[in-house]
Amino acid sequence: MITLTLNGLDVSVEEGTTLLEAARFLGFPIPTLCHRDGLSPYGACRLCVVEIGEGPKAALVSSCTYPAEEGLKVRTASSRVRRARLMVLELLLASCPQSKTIQDLASAHGVRQQRFRQEQEDCILCGLCVRMCEEQMMAKAIGFRGRGQTRSIGTPFDIKSDVCRQCGGCMYICPACQLRCTYTEPEKAICGACANLAPPCIAQDPFDDMMCYMDPCVACEIARDD
Amino acid sequence: MRKLKSVEGFKALCERLRAGAGTPLPTIVIPAGTCGLASGAGGLVRVAKREILAKGLIDKVRLRVTGCHGFCQMEPSVLIEPRRTFYPKVTLEGMARIVEAVADAEVLTELLLVDPETGEALEKQDDIPFFRKQVRRLLARNEKVDPIRIYHYFEIGGYEQLVEILGWGSGDRIIQEVKDAGLRGRGGGGFPTGLKWELLAKQPGRGGKFIVCNADEGDPGAYMDRSLLEGNPHSIIEGMLIGAYATGATEGIVYVRAEYPLAIRHLAVALEQAREHGLLGENILGTDFAFRLRIVKGAGAFVCGEETALIRSVEGKMGEPRQRPPYPVLKGIDGRPTVINNVETWANIPVIIRQGADRFAKIGTKGNSGTKIFSLVGKIKNTGLVEVPMGMTVGQIVYDIGGGAVGKARIKAVQTGGPSGGCVPAGMFDLPIDYDSLAEAGSIMGSGGMIVMDENTCMVDVAKYFMNFLKDESCGKCFTCRKGTQRMHEILDDISKGKAAPRHLDLLEELALAVKDTTMCGLGQTAPNPVLSTLRHFRGEYERHVVDKKCDALVCTELVGAPCQAACPLDTEAWRYVALIEKGKYDEAYQVIRRANPFPSVCARVCDRKCEQRCQLGTSGDEPVAVRALKRFVTDRVSASAYKPPVIARGAKGSGKVAVVGAGPAGLAAAHYLSMLGHRVTVFEAEAEAGGMLISCIPAYRLPRSIARQEVDSLLDDDNITLRCSAALGRDVTLDDLFADGFQAVFLAMGADTSWKLDLQGEDFAGVYSSMEFLKAFNLRGEELAGGHVAVIGGGNSAVDAARVAIRQENVQSVSLLYRRTDQEMPAYAEEVEAAIEEGIKLETLVSPVRIRYIEAARKEGIRVETMVQPVRIYSQQGRLVGIECIRNRLGEVDASGRRRPVPVPGSEFSISLNSLIVAIGERPDSDCLATMGLAPDKGGRLPVDPRTLAANREGVFAGGDLVTGPNTVADAIAAGKKAAAVINRHLRGEDLVREPDIRLPTEFIEPAEAGDEQGEQAARAEPPTIPVESRRKNFAEVEMALSTQQAHAEARRCLRCDLAFTQPPPAEENPCAAVEGASA
Repeated sequence: MITLTLNGLDVSVEEGTTLLEAARFLGFPIPTLCHRDGLSPYGACRLCVVEIGEGPKAALVSSCTYPAEEGLKVRTASSRVRRARLMVLELLLASCPQSKTIQDLASAHGVRQQRFRQEQEDCILCGLCVRMCEEQMMAKAIGFRGRGQTRSIGTPFDIKSDVCRQCGGCMYICPACQLRCTYTEPEKAICGACANLAPPCIAQDPFDDMMCYMDPCVACEIARDD
Repeated sequence: MRKLKSVEGFKALCERLRAGAGTPLPTIVIPAGTCGLASGAGGLVRVAKREILAKGLIDKVRLRVTGCHGFCQMEPSVLIEPRRTFYPKVTLEGMARIVEAVADAEVLTELLLVDPETGEALEKQDDIPFFRKQVRRLLARNEKVDPIRIYHYFEIGGYEQLVEILGWGSGDRIIQEVKDAGLRGRGGGGFPTGLKWELLAKQPGRGGKFIVCNADEGDPGAYMDRSLLEGNPHSIIEGMLIGAYATGATEGIVYVRAEYPLAIRHLAVALEQAREHGLLGENILGTDFAFRLRIVKGAGAFVCGEETALIRSVEGKMGEPRQRPPYPVLKGIDGRPTVINNVETWANIPVIIRQGADRFAKIGTKGNSGTKIFSLVGKIKNTGLVEVPMGMTVGQIVYDIGGGAVGKARIKAVQTGGPSGGCVPAGMFDLPIDYDSLAEAGSIMGSGGMIVMDENTCMVDVAKYFMNFLKDESCGKCFTCRKGTQRMHEILDDISKGKAAPRHLDLLEELALAVKDTTMCGLGQTAPNPVLSTLRHFRGEYERHVVDKKCDALVCTELVGAPCQAACPLDTEAWRYVALIEKGKYDEAYQVIRRANPFPSVCARVCDRKCEQRCQLGTSGDEPVAVRALKRFVTDRVSASAYKPPVIARGAKGSGKVAVVGAGPAGLAAAHYLSMLGHRVTVFEAEAEAGGMLISCIPAYRLPRSIARQEVDSLLDDDNITLRCSAALGRDVTLDDLFADGFQAVFLAMGADTSWKLDLQGEDFAGVYSSMEFLKAFNLRGEELAGGHVAVIGGGNSAVDAARVAIRQENVQSVSLLYRRTDQEMPAYAEEVEAAIEEGIKLETLVSPVRIRYIEAARKEGIRVETMVQPVRIYSQQGRLVGIECIRNRLGEVDASGRRRPVPVPGSEFSISLNSLIVAIGERPDSDCLATMGLAPDKGGRLPVDPRTLAANREGVFAGGDLVTGPNTVADAIAAGKKAAAVINRHLRGEDLVREPDIRLPTEFIEPAEAGDEQGEQAARAEPPTIPVESRRKNFAEVEMALSTQQAHAEARRCLRCDLAFTQPPPAEENPCAAVEGASA
């Protein structure tokens, strides 16, 4: 067993436990996007960062990939952690505003607007689908390609994969496209929480209609009270 | 080749080699690394071989082709051993001559490098400043070996360190030595190498352990690892062998980027040779020590330099970092313990064993021992690889080794550590270079790239460049690194295009800090450094971009437009009138000039030509377009009546009453533009005549009185403007009087016409004058104060003016100009200095009259005192000057201005007999009276104002020109007047004084010149003719003449027409040429 301090509590966990598992086991909520039980930890979304260590050596690490270490001091929601998370959420909103998952996360953390140029991307490269395909569906049909800003997920050279069984696992697990808010067809919108997020929803013409239609949607506000 | 099966066999071979070498023959060493080959070393090798064969010198001269020696700026270079003669930039013919000279044991003096400071030819490599201050433990060995000949390496004691440690029996002693030596990882992290090895040695080695040489050197502008691999691959192999023996590693990998083909080739040859000689593989030198070493080529991803990404790359997977812990030393390549060290770290290992830990640690500072190789690149005289002891200051590297700035632009910062590093501003150049100091300053050592940046570098652009690099080179796994670098680039791009607001700077900083905090690997954590460090040290530059929409370095194209226009304080569309001259439309050209500048003929003669300094033709290596000469051409040809200023009649709605104090260029420009806006202006002038410096100070041979008067009079010939001469502020009129008289605003533009004094005893002797006193006496009253032998002290324009006026005076026999720095550093325009010398003025530089102290107060005020002289003594007889004593200076340390401080050489005093001494060490505004009127001039006499509105600290009072800036150019003074008119107009109309800045880009499309025959050949810059020196003596005829029509047209055609990037030709139907092209397509 490994003993460490989590938010001031001395706790013992089994060797090999990640900080995320330890924190969740003890009831400290840590938001995640790219983590799923049953899939190997990846550490891409950086939403689950926690602060470890003290003084000038204190650092943020992704709790989903960091193993519990003897004597480690961990803070799951220090001001530095919260500041970082808000920026991650703001960046996510700026890139992928139509994702229900991201909207809910942003809403739950009180992020109401983002200050960057609005993008409409449909993938945040969290890699859940890649790991789903490889680890649960045993197919390895899709993977990452390229690096930096040209990184993407797909099959090599975009050729249809022989090993893909079209199981749909990748779509099922996707946080960006699952239950996608159909903002261009307001009557089909399932949530409208995004309507509370100023720029993505009101910056563009189609959203004006949506504001009228959904207003006064407070879905996300209700969700926060739990 | 016979495999060496024992240590004895190796020693015997080495001895045979050394015995065979005999007395060393003169050897021609040609550095032919990638840099050398690119600059033509291959040709030199061919010529050298041919000449040696053809002349039968095979027994007299040897040839050695080596890797890079470091002085890349001077390549292709040649080194002659054992004399160590260094020939820079050798041509093919030069090479042939060198071969012959070497055979005859001669030195070709004319091909040697010339010391830029003393002008002497330097023969020995080790006397060259670039090499002198280095400690070349690693690079010096590059000179000794041909990288593809293992025997060369044997001859200089190669692999003897391996033999030595094989005798130690265990690895612990090696690890202890490395720890004692204090070697820290040269890849940039600075982790103690010995500690790393100790950890590896402790790991169970059942499945085998790995050691890796990280040669994935990807920083832009860094190439020290490449040089080591190319130049001395065996030293890396030996270092790794020692490391393997120490840690028990059995497998070794050199991870080198595929972009280094020559390094790979040399290393592959070296590996093969080492294997053949039994130095690699099983049973090395007959012992039971085994080590396999192979090359893995990286495919060019920057991130693969990060150790966990490198491991994945070696394993054949995508180069993506992973979480540490577990650290590679526990779980590395294929899950086995692995240690990764940089090329330079490995190259240092044999040095430690050879010298011993104590000697190794003697160089450098505590906790940062040994030497470090930096690649010094950018805006610096000597680029290349420099190896220096740790703890040397940035300033020493930049100025002493690097030779300082190229041209006159000052160095403002150095970027260390490449894209992951940060910048060190010039103010911090006394920072010692070591891991800890750099980290404290917000940068990192990185692998050792040093990019020098000067005033022509825009820091926003630098940050943008690195962010552009990083957004492509981030692996993309961490969302914050991938998106964060993209977003930072996006914001920086907006800033550079004038699309960002001040709040974006805070957002940028917030984002940068978040990216630093939330990413997994070193790349992400250091990626924001360029942004954070430039924001920290150059926030002012960012603010100029977002608030004023100006890029002072003239780099950000969308803010700059045509550089000539952006550089002009008056916003003159130089590109436009140059283009119109080429079309022969002189009237239109005149109108373009006159609209921006009420003194076209004056500026055509005395402008300091900021446009030419920034001309793209000039900055790209050619001579800039002679813009001022072209302006002179137009203004000489076109009558001033070609332009009629649109003046709003007096008494129009909203018009007011303004007092302008000072009828110099600033005051007259303000009055003129205020009048055009319908305001009534009264100009108060202390002297008997309007014109200020144009009349009283600038000599007639540069600016004929008639021209200046004509232009001044034409501005005053205006119903809205009244001139009152001989009315000085403080003496004849006060601010309170003016406001009581109903003036609603006052513009102060009295200039700066009080000379600084030497502060030396005897300055009030008869025969000693200040330059202003001297020039005014002559220009305004025709009094010739100078006579006999005259000396002028100072190096600025007024010093040169005074000297040239003096030499034209009747009773003057000789004139000396004494300046305490070199003529290179004179603030006066170079051509004025040349003209002065032509006219017979003796120039004594590096001379300062001794025993006068600096005017400390003025310097503290930021006044440029570089032009001041430290005088020694003034001799007099009966109250009249008879001579001065001077002391010679030498150049000392570099001061804050980036120039070398002149240091007096004791004992070098000498005396000059003089009849007149003119002190021209700088001017200051005479603003004492302002303090009594509710204003607050600073100690240097300058009046501080809000730079955006020119408003002084009293309501309704504005100021500009030399009064605010201290002595400055005519163009800047006119610009201040122009700006004051706009601001005062807003003040009178009750509007907000500050306006949103507008970005002025070229809008008018002017057809480019048709490419003619002469376009093909390189047209030289047209220099305006000058009247011969003989006819300049003792008269004030204008020296410079106008260009001929033919010259002017040819010169205008040289313009690169930067404006065309911003303008569009009219639609196709109005453009017959385009229509024809379209039809034929």
